[in-house]
Parts: sequence; structure tokens; C-alpha cells
Amino acid sequence: MKRMSLAKIAVILLTAIAVFLPIGLLCWQSFLDAPFFQAQKLYGLDAYRFIFDDPDFKRSFLNSLYISCGMGVIAVPMGGVLAFLMVRTDLPGRTWIEPLLLIPVFVSPMVLCFGYTVAVGPVGFVSIWAQKLLGSVPWYLYSMTSIVLIAGLSHVPHVYLYTSSALRSLSSDVEEAARVAGAGPLKVATTVSLPMVMPAMLYSGVLVFFLGFQIFGLALVLGDPEGHLVLATYLYKLTNKLGVPSYHLMAAVAMCIVAITVPMVLSQRFLLRNAHKYITLKGKGSRQRTLPLGPWRWVAAGLVFLWLAVTVIIPLVGVIFRAFVTNWGEGVTFLEAFTLDNFKQVFEQPNLLRGVVNTILLGVIGGGLSVICFTFIGLSSHRKNNGWTRLLDYTVMTPRAIPGLLAGLAFLWVFLFFPPLVPFRKTLVSLWLAYSVVWLAYGMRLISTSLLQVGPELEECARVTGATPGQVNRHITIPLIRFGLLASWLMIFMIFEREYSTGVYLLGPGTEVIGSLMVSLWGAGAIEIISALSFINILLVSVGMGIALRYGVKLHD
Amino acid sequence: MKQLSLSRTILRLTLGLFIAMPLALQAAPPTGYPADYQKLIDAGKQEGKVVIYATTDTKSAEPIVKDFEALYPGIKVEYNDLNSTELYNRFIGEAASGGGTGDVTWSSSMDLQMKLVLDGNAVIYKSPEAKNLPSWANWKDTAYGTTYEPISILYNKRLLKDDEIPKSHADLARVLANPKFKGKIVSYDPERSGVGFSYLTQDLKNNPNGFWDMAKVLGNAGVKVYTSTGAMMEKVSSGEALLGYNIIGSYAFLKAKKDPSIGYLYPSDYTVVMSRVMFISKHAKSPNAAKLWVDYILSVRGQQIISDKADLFAIRSDIKGETTMANLSKLLGTGAKPISIGQETIEFLEPRKRLDFLKKWQQALGTVK
Repeated sequence: MKRMSLAKIAVILLTAIAVFLPIGLLCWQSFLDAPFFQAQKLYGLDAYRFIFDDPDFKRSFLNSLYISCGMGVIAVPMGGVLAFLMVRTDLPGRTWIEPLLLIPVFVSPMVLCFGYTVAVGPVGFVSIWAQKLLGSVPWYLYSMTSIVLIAGLSHVPHVYLYTSSALRSLSSDVEEAARVAGAGPLKVATTVSLPMVMPAMLYSGVLVFFLGFQIFGLALVLGDPEGHLVLATYLYKLTNKLGVPSYHLMAAVAMCIVAITVPMVLSQRFLLRNAHKYITLKGKGSRQRTLPLGPWRWVAAGLVFLWLAVTVIIPLVGVIFRAFVTNWGEGVTFLEAFTLDNFKQVFEQPNLLRGVVNTILLGVIGGGLSVICFTFIGLSSHRKNNGWTRLLDYTVMTPRAIPGLLAGLAFLWVFLFFPPLVPFRKTLVSLWLAYSVVWLAYGMRLISTSLLQVGPELEECARVTGATPGQVNRHITIPLIRFGLLASWLMIFMIFEREYSTGVYLLGPGTEVIGSLMVSLWGAGAIEIISALSFINILLVSVGMGIALRYGVKLHD
Repeated sequence: MKQLSLSRTILRLTLGLFIAMPLALQAAPPTGYPADYQKLIDAGKQEGKVVIYATTDTKSAEPIVKDFEALYPGIKVEYNDLNSTELYNRFIGEAASGGGTGDVTWSSSMDLQMKLVLDGNAVIYKSPEAKNLPSWANWKDTAYGTTYEPISILYNKRLLKDDEIPKSHADLARVLANPKFKGKIVSYDPERSGVGFSYLTQDLKNNPNGFWDMAKVLGNAGVKVYTSTGAMMEKVSSGEALLGYNIIGSYAFLKAKKDPSIGYLYPSDYTVVMSRVMFISKHAKSPNAAKLWVDYILSVRGQQIISDKADLFAIRSDIKGETTMANLSKLLGTGAKPISIGQETIEFLEPRKRLDFLKKWQQALGTVK
């Protein structure tokens, strides 16, 4: 094996700095008894002692574990089957279902939950119907079961995106062989298609589990009335429990979360050790054919629609409804409460307007830049297996382990105390870097899943004919993964639109984004404005996604 | 480097403009101000901007900012709307980095503000308006209380009859005995909300004999505790809850103006009054413009806007209107209990004392044995 070029090592080192500088700050902070920048501070384990003694910590840890497991159990099989149905079969209405599927990914969970409160909360309009129809409301939105269910259902798209992107680049001849041998659609899915996209599903499964430990907005809104704590809301609680923000305690909690994720990275590497088993995009490709579902068609469509109704339609109708009324509840009719004032306010307030513009800029341009950076990082370890790539693997996974809120705080420290970055603090650059690092694992998985599917013989072929590594990348690898890159851009765009906690500490004039404005407004009571903002957010992303999908469809032809 | 030279050019231009400008065009110092106040105005204009860190939301602050900019053309207000914990975090982080902070901080979280002041982050500035404030609202010419906001009880007008609305703290026990209210009262969670915590400790201070019984009443009625004022008002408005306890009056007032379901009242036995605390940062980059801002906020002109347009409550006794101290004093008499500003404001930031109170609170509520 050839040695790594200097450029690749530089990319890996830069990535490591961007990731480990903020995390290093957090780690250092967790062993102090006062903010790290204060002159008076002592080293010690007091922070850890405090949280381990705190019954709330134990409670929230168990809740987080419960949510994570529940999410994995719900989201991974459903996401896999959904991907199979959408990519491989003649499911009715696939073209218009696709954009709807992605909605839970790009709508901030806080807003989704707010939609749920309006729709299926104790006095929500769906609940009132159920009350009239059944005599009682058979669900309770603020219970732990509801939280797990909503978390699981709303993360199905994450699994779907990874799995479907892998399925698309998988030729369908093996499936046809199975069909010829007499297998039904379900059998094809479970024994042929899904096992072939195992790497993508495993990755997404691990990521969903991670995300389970990150759940913040959902638990904040739905866990609030019954006091259900998860690790991220426990963090939030720690901020106030002692009156002044206790950085050392918050950092200690973050370190505990990191400690959980390290073994997961190890297990993931172990699972993927034989990744070449799954290489399917070879020089000799063939067209994909859809699989007829037969009578299963309508059953499948019904199930997909049910999932859509619960996960997308109900909360969205709730939020949109809220954006257009002054107040709501039992006895209030839509017409008498109807108003457009909420939107007028958004457009009249310069900071909100800037937030809308910045959100678009950050999603489109920032998202594109991030994908370029991620591609460089991906290529720097592509087809290599040495100390550097192992370092990169851990580097990439690590930031996802830190709750966005805290990562944002760590980045504020970086932009305050790391001289080369100080001038950028009050610009969108600070947000872009924080977002890119927080979502590094996410983007990298998309890109490396694509990279894994490029057969090495294609690259080797070019190498044999004398191409330099750069030429191989430019002429072989990147063109082959271009669909993956476009999908990643779309994915990153949506994720950046939705992100709400990372930007909170970096929020200021010029760096407003819709997400952090929502958190900021949440405290003060402008829920109608939050709803109006999220409506605008949904609208913007829908337009962007519509264009991207059209473009994507053309590319596929 | 480029930026520096640019700002220098701007500075020179502004200076030149000032020299060229006829004296008559400049804003004259208000009456009753020191004779050399014009010097402060000129210095403030040279600085060109003032950075405010505040918890008052941008919408409420907008008329104040606009009026200030109209009064002192040439001074641009950079208004940062943050929540109180973010504000505190940002301030101490920036102060430690040496990169400069907001020039003025203005927060409803009185204890965190006083903590910053007592930790030596504020400068002493005797505002010429200071004499017009109640004495408790001026802490050593360093921290000023700027508003007079009653802590109120919020209720759903649509779903409650008049006799189902508690008129005072003592009245809560009678009203909440009604099973209708089971699980339908919302309040701040003192564990997760700093302001919620401080209002409860004020309740204890003003009602030492009845407080723990009241906590038991709330606990028996299954009070639901929140961090977000918005969420609480939303629940009361929709009918998911019926009563909101300890809601900041200015938010309730604003919400009730737009939302026909919302009603609010000031408890008649005593009403805790909160004041947004303002101080000038020791690390201010525009100390003169910061002084102008503080003077403006405390002036008749500023307070009138605070009362009429920002829908906060004016603290000066010479301002008339619904949302003013004058009006509240008439309504509540001696029942108005302002939270004092000083060393005692941060009494409960001492961890043991704080955790002690929380434990007792949870025991009274019955959430912890």
C-alpha cells in the first residue's frame, strides 16, 4: 500500500482540529470546578461525583436509553421496508409520497411536537374528535410511550434516506433472480434487497441510536408537563438547578454521553470489517426494474399512508393551523380566530427577516460547502486502512455524540478564545463551522456509503493506465458517486434548515437563523411567531426540495 | 487591518462632520442634566454605536431602539435579544476572552444580573435620572431597576366563571379544591427556570406563614411545571390548563391584548413586582453611548415608550397610564412587593441554600418524599 500523501494527512488533521478543539475544551472543563476561563479553578472529579449522585441523572439516562432502543426498534425495520417499497416496487403514489417522507427530517422536532400539542394534545382538535367519537381520548401525548413512539416514527426517514440511497445504486438482477425462483415481494425484501444494503442500514441504525441520546426538543416540549427527563433536558435543567450555569456539570454529562458512543464506533467498525462483501456498483451495471407487488400494493400503500398521517400530516396541520390563528382550544372556531398578523410580524421585524435569509444562505451555500469538505475528507481515507483513517473514523463519529446545545456553547468558546477564528464569531462562518462539525458524522456516512459501493477495480483500472490519485478521484470516483453527493447536499441542506440548538449561543445580529430564533422566542412567549416561522421554514424547504427532486428525477433518466 | 482603517476613516468623517455642523443642530442636553452633558453626547456619537444584551424580545424593544436612535442620530443600537442564561453565558465568556462584551446588559433575570454586578463586571455611573427612581431600584449607582412588572395569575376567560378565579394567594386553596382544576394549573419549574425560582422565593419572603401550605395546595391540584412562558400561556389559552401561576405581568398583558381567551389579575393580598435590571459593562467598548442609553431608558421619554409602546411597565412615578407603577400603586397599595436589588437578590444562588429550597418545594408538592 502506498503511503498517504501530505494533502490527505492535512485534511485529516484539519478535521481532527475542528472536532477535537471544542470537545477538548468540554473534556478539560469537566475536570474543573469553575468555568475554564476563570482564574480561580481547581482540578478534580467533583463534577462527576455530583451527577452520579444525582437521582435525576440516573433517571434521565435510563429514559434516554429507553428512547434510543425504542427508536432503533421502530425506525430501522420501518425505514428499511419503506426504502424497499419506494425504490424497488410499484407502490402507488411513490412520486408524491417521497417529498412528504422527508418532512420529519427537516422540521425541527420542537415544532413538530408543538404541532402534536395543537392536534393530539389533551384539547387538540383530533383529541376532541376522538372524544366525541369514542367517548374518551385513547392516548396521552405527554406519556413516555408517546415520546418513544413519536421519536421512533419521526426517525424513520433517516433510515430511509441511507437505505434508499444505497438501494438505488444496487442493480436489480439479483432480485429478479429471486423473483424468478418464486420469492414474493416480502421475501425478496428481507432475504435479498435489505441484506445487500446492510452497511447503510447498520450505519443508520447506529446513527438513530445516537440521535436517541440527543433528543432534546421533543423531550423539552412533550416531556415538560410530566417531568420526563432525558440526558439533553437534564443538561438544560443543570443550567438552572444551581442558579448560575454550571459548565463543569454540563461538560461532565457530555463526557458521559461520549463514553457511551465510543464503544458504538468500535462495534460499527467491527460490523463493517467485511464491507467489500457488499460492493454492488461494478463496471458492468444493469438497469433497475420495479418489482410488481400485486395484491400487496394496497396494503403497503395503506401502511405507508398511516405512517405519513401520524408522523407528518397531523403535526404539520397542527403547526400550520397555529400559524394562522390568534388562539385555539375547545370552543374556539378557526374563522373567528383567523389572522395573518403572525406573518406580518415576521416580516416587520428585521431580526426575524434576517433569520429567514440567513437560514436559506446557510442551507444552500453552507450546505454545498459542507458537502465539498465532507467529500475531501471522505476521499482522504478512501481505500486506505491505516492509523490515519482510523483516527478519522473516530474523529468523524465523535461530534455527533455531543448534544447540539452544548456543542454550540463549546463553539462559542472556540470562537472567543482561539485567535485565528475570533474575527469570524459574529458572521455566518461561525454557524457554518459549528453546523458542519455537529453534522459531520451524518454527512460523512452519506458520502462513505456511496464511496463503499464503487468497485475498486474501476479505480485500479485507471491507476494501471497511469492516472494519478487526483485524476482517479476526478475522473472515476467522484463522477460515480455524484448522485450520492447530490443526495448528501439535499440532506445537509435539510438538516441545516432544521437545526435549532447548535446556533443558540452563537445567535446575534447577523447570525440569526430560524432554528435558534425559535429557541430564543420559546422562552418569551411568542408561540404564534414560532409557528409562522416554522411555516415559512417548511415552505422554503418544500420549494427547495421540489426543485431538487425534479432535478434529481431528470438525472436518473 | 482593512476594517480598522475603514473605521478610522469613518471616525474622521464623523469628526469632520461634527466640526462643520452648526451647534444649533445638535441635540441639546435635557433640562436638569449636568451642564457638560453635551460632552457625553458628543463622545457617544463618536463611538457611533451601543451594543445591548437584553432579554426583552426584539419586538417590544423595537420602539425603544427606534426612539433612542431618533434622539441621538449617529448612535446605532445593536440590540441582542437573548434568553437570560445565554446572556449570562455570553457575557462571562466574552469578558474572560478580553474581546469586549455588550456595552449594556438588561435582563429580567435579576439574580444573574446582580451576580454579574457583584462579581465586578459593572461600572459605577450616577445617572442624572437616578433621583427619579424609587430608592430600591438604584443599587449604588451601578445597577438600575428599569421596569415595574407585576407577577400575575393567568386564567382562561372562556372556561372559567368569575368565582372560579382566585383573587389572591390565600384564595388559591378555595378555588383549587374544585376537582375541575386537577392537573390544569401551570407554573414555572423552579428547578429549570431561574426566574420561576426567584418568584417562588419572593412568595416565601412575602408570605412566610402561608407559603408552604400554598405549595401543598398546588401539589394536590397536580400543578404542571414548565420552563417556557410561551408554552404556559398557550396551554391556558387553549384550555389544556385553566390557571397560570406566577406569570410575568407584561407578557400576560401583551398576550391578553391579542388573545380573547386570556385573562390575568394581580393577587390582592400581595403582588411580587419584578424589575429588569440594567448596568453598564466594565468591558464596554462604547461607555459613553452606554451612559446615554441608560439615561434615556430612565428618562420620562424612554419610560413613556416603555409603558405605551413596549408594553412593559414604567417604573417612574411621574408616568401615567395602565402599565405604570403609578397605576399599580393605586390598584395594589402596599400590596405591591418589589424584589429588592442588592446583595440579597443573589441569596439563593448559594448552591446549598438553593438545593435546600428546591427539596422542600418538591416535598411540599409531593413529587419527592
